[in-house]
Amino acid sequence: MAKPAWGKWGSWEETQGFLGKEIGKSIGADPVEKGSIRRWLEPKEFACPIHTDKTAAKGAGYNDIVAPATMAVTYGIGPYWAPGDKQEQPGDEPKQINIPVIFDVPAPCTLSFATNIDIEFFEPMLLSDEISCTSKLVAITHKELRVGKGAFLKQEDTYTNQRGEVVAVAALDIFRFVPPAEETV
Amino acid sequence: MNRATTANWNKQRYFDDVAIGDELPSITIPITLQRLVMEAGANRDLSLIHHDNDVAKATGAPGAYANTFFLMGMFERLLREWMGLQGKLKKISSLRMATFNAAGDLLRFHGTVKQQLDNKCVVLDLCAKSDRGITVTAEATVELPRRSV
Repeated sequence: MAKPAWGKWGSWEETQGFLGKEIGKSIGADPVEKGSIRRWLEPKEFACPIHTDKTAAKGAGYNDIVAPATMAVTYGIGPYWAPGDKQEQPGDEPKQINIPVIFDVPAPCTLSFATNIDIEFFEPMLLSDEISCTSKLVAITHKELRVGKGAFLKQEDTYTNQRGEVVAVAALDIFRFVPPAEETV
Repeated sequence: MNRATTANWNKQRYFDDVAIGDELPSITIPITLQRLVMEAGANRDLSLIHHDNDVAKATGAPGAYANTFFLMGMFERLLREWMGLQGKLKKISSLRMATFNAAGDLLRFHGTVKQQLDNKCVVLDLCAKSDRGITVTAEATVELPRRSV
């Protein structure tokens, strides 16, 4: 039997058991604030004043500085370490960004890759907003591709602020599969 | 050439001024390991393939490569510089990677107006290119204000 390289191992029946269910929830490590916006704009050489200047943001119809819409995915990521978590030890596996459809949903697969992303934006993210992300498994489509046999798993991430307003909804398609050489031993 | 951004934030684009086939001013940006490190720290996707050349090469990539958060953010910059401050990004869809956007690449982001919807929204085709060809494609929907009549 193939050993999982990453991603939780299990049968397709177990995968099916997660369909339509919440598979993960993260609470953003930090609220929306000027420093993290500035550090996000910096590597993109992105100079838009509604993200840095209150007067410009008000002129564009916002109550205050607004974060870039695509920052929703950043503000929804939980901490990589928080008080109470165990201290990392030499030789521990490096921490990965958590993609629940890979790491928390079992499937009889050893490899995976993302194929498609859609993201729709709703309420703006204003200073001090706290963003959380709830993930659901919304579709499983079995398929055999050149790289191997597996299934497309669609993860829907809903980003919400502390008032319960939806900020963004993203759909992520991940193909999880077994390369042909590993299929039967 | 050393130049500051050419975006003019005093200019607002209106729905009335847009035509199908209009091309957005493109953006060119070198992908360096330093930029990838800055980006990983800022967007919080700390997966090693995005800032560690050895790990990325072991997976078959030419080197550490940009993550989807960076590419989405660069598309937002491309759209924002074209829209002006009152435009709104509504959707990025069908974002697909064609190949790596790796350290050492020079990336150029492009956009073209494809469709007009509901007298307020504009659909655009987006892509990024490097010496490897088209590296990522997507579609975006933005909302623009109307000129008052």
